[in-house]
Amino acid sequence: MARSNRRSYDLRIMLAMAVYVTVFLMFWPLVRSATDPLAKFAYALAPVPPLLYVIWVMALRILRSDELQQRQHLIGLGVATVVVSIVSIVAGFLAAADLLALDTTSIILVWIFPLMIIAYSVARGYAARRYGGSAMCDDDERMPAYQRFLFGAAISLFIAGIVYLRNGAHPAVDIIVAMALVQIIAATLFGVRYARRERLPPP
Amino acid sequence: MNNHLRRLREQRAWSQGDLAEQLEVSRQTINAIETGKYDPSLPLAFRIAKLFRQPIEAIFEPGKE
Repeated sequence: MARSNRRSYDLRIMLAMAVYVTVFLMFWPLVRSATDPLAKFAYALAPVPPLLYVIWVMALRILRSDELQQRQHLIGLGVATVVVSIVSIVAGFLAAADLLALDTTSIILVWIFPLMIIAYSVARGYAARRYGGSAMCDDDERMPAYQRFLFGAAISLFIAGIVYLRNGAHPAVDIIVAMALVQIIAATLFGVRYARRERLPPP
Repeated sequence: MNNHLRRLREQRAWSQGDLAEQLEVSRQTINAIETGKYDPSLPLAFRIAKLFRQPIEAIFEPGKE
């Protein structure tokens, strides 16, 4: 994938995730107070479109990758499928035997997609390292990791500001600000590494 | 599989990025091929051979397997 496309991909994913978090925090809670069935459906499914957009952008990225990158995506997706399957079946058997209390009718399903994405990202990062790349895919075709984390922190703080202005002091604000702080620390660490690498001659 | 990709590239004073651009793959893929961590597909091997104007067997040779 060309450098400009990779940077555009990073920006599109981050903006879509920002929209998702904003919608999830601002609109999804309204589902409990809505009385009209259509409004309930609309509020309940409001976070889905930005996630579908993320999936579509990821699919395009995989289709436009070269053969080695496609192999790494395949490894990531395979590992993610195995992880989600094992977690689901183990939790399912434990819940069926009343050894694990799972609210299987609601919020537990929401965590399947994030679990899959996390497992995919870790496995793909491992595969990239195995083939001589970086676990953070911090190559010269992509927005550097420290910029991604900085951008993520800026988006997080923006969302925290919106939630604070709308709801005042709220636990969600603390969580988002904590996320931003973690991203700033990560940006600093990756920024130092990036500066060191920039001093090295290109291969 | 062993290959002479790095030598051929350096003979032409190309960077990995230059070669990657000409072959329409990522720089990481070029690096992985040169370091023997990844064996290219047959179509990519043919593209490499065509670019360097050499037969495939002059660039790639069987390893110890």
